Formats: sequence, structure tokens, C-alpha cells
Amino acid sequence: MTVQQTETARTIGKEDAKIFAQNIRRVYQIKSKDGGGITEFEAIRKLDLEVRAGEFFTIVGPSGCGKSTFLDMVAGLAKPSSGEVFIDGKLITGPALDRGIVLQGYALFPWRTVRKNVEFGLEVKKIPQKDRNEISQRFIELVGLKNFEDRYPHELSGGMKQRVAIARALAYDPEVLLMDEPFAAVDAQTRETLQEELLRIWEETKKTIIFITHGIDEAVFLSDRVAVMTANPGTIKEVVTINLPRPRHGIRSSAEFGWVRHKIWELLQNEQDGGGRPALPDQDVAAAISTTAAL
Amino acid sequence: MKKYEAVVDRFLRYSGLVAFFVLWEAAPRLGWADPQFLPPLSAVLQSIYWLAVDGELYSHLIVSLWRALVGLMLAALVALPLGFILGARCPETARHLDPLFRLLSQVNPFSLAPVFMLCFGIGEISKLMTIALVALWPILFHTITGVRMVDPLLVKTARSLTVTRGVMVSEVLLPGAFPTIISGFRVATQMTVFMLIAAEMLGAAAGLGWLVHNSAMLSQIPRMYAGGAFIILLGIIINQILLKVERESMFWRECPGPVTDEVVRSLSGKTRSLYVAAFACAFAFVLICGSQEVRRVNIQGLHSDKTASHQHNHGGLVGPLRSD
Repeated sequence: MTVQQTETARTIGKEDAKIFAQNIRRVYQIKSKDGGGITEFEAIRKLDLEVRAGEFFTIVGPSGCGKSTFLDMVAGLAKPSSGEVFIDGKLITGPALDRGIVLQGYALFPWRTVRKNVEFGLEVKKIPQKDRNEISQRFIELVGLKNFEDRYPHELSGGMKQRVAIARALAYDPEVLLMDEPFAAVDAQTRETLQEELLRIWEETKKTIIFITHGIDEAVFLSDRVAVMTANPGTIKEVVTINLPRPRHGIRSSAEFGWVRHKIWELLQNEQDGGGRPALPDQDVAAAISTTAAL
Repeated sequence: MKKYEAVVDRFLRYSGLVAFFVLWEAAPRLGWADPQFLPPLSAVLQSIYWLAVDGELYSHLIVSLWRALVGLMLAALVALPLGFILGARCPETARHLDPLFRLLSQVNPFSLAPVFMLCFGIGEISKLMTIALVALWPILFHTITGVRMVDPLLVKTARSLTVTRGVMVSEVLLPGAFPTIISGFRVATQMTVFMLIAAEMLGAAAGLGWLVHNSAMLSQIPRMYAGGAFIILLGIIINQILLKVERESMFWRECPGPVTDEVVRSLSGKTRSLYVAAFACAFAFVLICGSQEVRRVNIQGLHSDKTASHQHNHGGLVGPLRSD
């Protein structure tokens, strides 16, 4: 039985993919400290990726591997040095309302109430006040913040703030939701609640989600597919399909979950050991699970 | 018990002030100080009363307020847009210009008084320019800092929503920088009041500074103290108002700002709009009535020599005279 499957042969074309990234490269010019010339730092090299419509796609990788930079490119907030990112076959040249972003730092407007925060995108879209009210109310209720509409962000907990940020991103109805380590700043219990709610919201709204995390658990629990990124330079090492059944409530304790999690852990681990080393054979993985199950 | 403590606390807090006033009243009466130079408090209060009753005080107050307000507005008109452009659009340029700005901000208009007279004459314009030049720098520096300190994640979020430049300024940068900008205004206002009094002393036909100077020239000492008292009062009131605005403007900050360690209480939306309306009315009043009064005073100023000599002959403690 295999619950994971390495993505190799079955790649779909740029026309069929929701998000399609091709040969992305990102180079930073760094001034060397001793006053000498300018050295080039290659943050991302030859990154190819396709995300299907309605898919929950997660990118997991060590810090500094360029995963956030890549997400900024999909959002249209950063430009690759070379290569292209497409949405529905159209080249991404800048930000647009077909993509919504949720950041780790919540980024709520602190001088706006919950309702006014959720309505921000609607105001930009020039939706009339009456409809705005209706839409914001619907999404505030979707993220479970009924009766908190008139609170200010400083009166909310971290988890609640992140719900507001999600509601705000969903309210203007983007097709793709880009989430950059959204649950990294909340405590473990809140994180699990938020993960389950995110899955519920995803199933209700049928959005395509690109989710960035460094939590393997989180990646496996949420995703249809997980891309493992390596650092220096950042590129995708492998895309792992997570064939765990949905709904996934309580699946964390299952053997399959542990198996997939270990597979990804190992891919990341190899990377930290210096990369390049081939993955351990399967029987070793099985043996290793028992010793690393607590991780 | 708590109430009793609060009363004692309040008493102790104001005891210094009370002692000061008592000493002021007593010293000239007991011969500890020359009443010619330090008249008792009661004489000063009487003088304030006379100033208030015959409307002279209104005239000086409104003229000074008008000058301060117009000067500040001129400064803001330049400093705010410039601060936004430098802070948000070209931070590199702002960095390069910083030493120049620091140098210019140290220019005291009085140290270059001849140049000022050459450029702006000695009339109303000159005084307004003096104030504007002094007020410009704190507002500009605070605006640049405020704009640059706006959370970059908020800017990023707004950018991802494809907001226009106008919306970015009005909905993200301005609210985010507002508390810092208000701090700048508070500093600017304080400096404005100082400079304004000095400018009015040097050459004016009305205003609180002129009142003090003129009284001193005419040896109307209680009147001089009365003018001084009003300048202090004006400073305190303006400062308190701006502190209040400053505190209110950052109600959304997680921790109270550096200005206060009190619990920040936010006004309800309705009260806030009431306050804003009251401010707007006060501003409009000062602008309209002030400009009329300034015009009247400046026309009269042509005959100011006559008036002054007339008052001088009259002398006396109750000296304030209106020449109309």
C-alpha cells in the first residue's frame, strides 16, 4: 500500500493548471562587506510548479528557502528575475483581486473594526454599502466571529485576528487564496482549531489554496499535495501527493498520517544534512518511524 | 477612605500652586518685593478683569490665535504633502536630504531677522512666515517618520488589493501615521506660541506679545502680568487639547503611547464626531473673526504711534484703552 506518490510523469500543462510557474529564478545583488564588488545570491533557481483548480497545495521548506518570495510572486507583489508565473494561463504581472493573501502577522488595519477590515477589499472593489454589509456579515459568520463585528483588532486574540484576516481575504471573492505561514504565531491548540476550520471553509468555498508553512504536521493534515522546497538555492525537491481520506478530523493519530509525515520529514532532513543524498530505502523508513514517532 | 485619600492627593498636587499664589499676593503687600515691579496677584486679576470687560483681551487673543493657526496651516500645507512624498515614495531622497533639513530646522528666524525683513517686510506676512518656518520642521520630520513607520505588512496587504495611490494614502498611510503626525503638530504648536509672542513683541499692532511689550513700555505692570498670564494659559490649553487628540488618535495601539501611562479610553464614534465638529467650529471661528480683527488692527496700526503716546500720558494701572 502506498499512501504517497511521487509526482513525476503526471504534470499538466499551463492551460489546465490554476497556477503555473515555469523556470522561476530570483537573484539578489549583495554588496560584499569588505567594500569589494557585488556578489549575486541565488534565492530561487529553476522552480517549476503547477497547482490545480480547487486544490489545497502546500509548500513546506526550511526558513530562507524562498517560499515566501515565491508566494509574493504568485501574489504579483514581487517579480522573478527570470521565468513566469501564470494564473489560468495568463501571465501574472501584478497584484489583482483574483488572488487574496493572508499573512503570518495578520496585517489587520488596527484603526478599523472587524467589519470594516473585512469590508476593505469590497470598498476597493467599489461594492455598494448595502451589499458590503451583507457580504462582510456572511464571512464574519463563516469564520465564527459573530458578535465581534464592532471590535477593534487590539481587542481580539491572535487566533481571532487570523480569522478576521481570512474573512477579509475571502470577502472579495478571490479564486486563489495565498496563505503565508498564517498559523505560525498562534498557540498549538488554536492552530489545530484553525486548521480544521480552514478545511471546512475551503470545502465550503471551493477556493484554490496555496499554503506556506514550515510545519510538516500542518502540511500533511491540510493538503492535497505538498511541495518540499530546499534552500540554497531554493527549488522544489519533490511534490508529494497526500492520499489521506477526507474529512481528516482525528487522522493525526493514524499510521498513514505518520507515514506521510515521516516521508516529508525525511526529505527535509536530507536537505539539512547537505542535500543530494538519496532518500533512505523504504524498509529503513519503517524502522525509523518507531524512533521518530514523537517528533 | 479612598475618597479621603484622593482629596489629600489632590490637595498635595496643587499645594505648590496655591503656595505660589499666596506668596505672590503676600510678598508685595508685606514689602518683601517692590510692588512697582511685582504687583500683588489681586491687582493682576483686576487688570485681567478690565482687559476682559472692555474687549481688548478678545482682540489680542483672537489676533494671536489667528496668527498661530494660519502659520501652522501654511506649514502643514507644505510639510504634509512633502512628508508623504519623501516618506512613502522616495525614502532614499529623504535620507540624502536629512542633513540639509536638520541644518535648516536649526535656523532661528530671529537670528536671520534682517533677511526676513528683506524678504517679507515687517507686516503680517513676516510674522506668519516666521511661524510657518518654525512649525514646518517638526511637522515634516514627524510626517516622514510616521509614514515610514506604518506597518509594511499593511502596505503589502493594501498593495495586494490593488488599491489606488489615493486610497493607499487616505486609508493606510494617513491613519497609520496620524498619531506621529499629531505629535509633530504638538511640538510645532509649542514652538509656534513661543515664536509668535517674540515676533509680536518685536513689531506688531496687537496680539498677546504686543500686549506684554506695550504694557512694559508704558509701565503698566499689572497689565503686563495679565498678558503674561494669558500667554501661559493659552500654551497650557492648546497643549492639553493636542495631548487629548494625540491620545485619542492612537486608541488602536496595543500599548499606550509614550505620552501617557494612563489607560487609554476610546471615545465612542458619536462623541468623537462631536469633538471633531467642535474643533472645526473653533477653527472656523478663529479663522474668520481673527482675519477681521487682524485687518482692523493693522489699519489702526497706522495710528499706533499716536495711541501709544496717548496711553503713555494717561499712565495709570487701569490703562487699557480702546482707541475706537
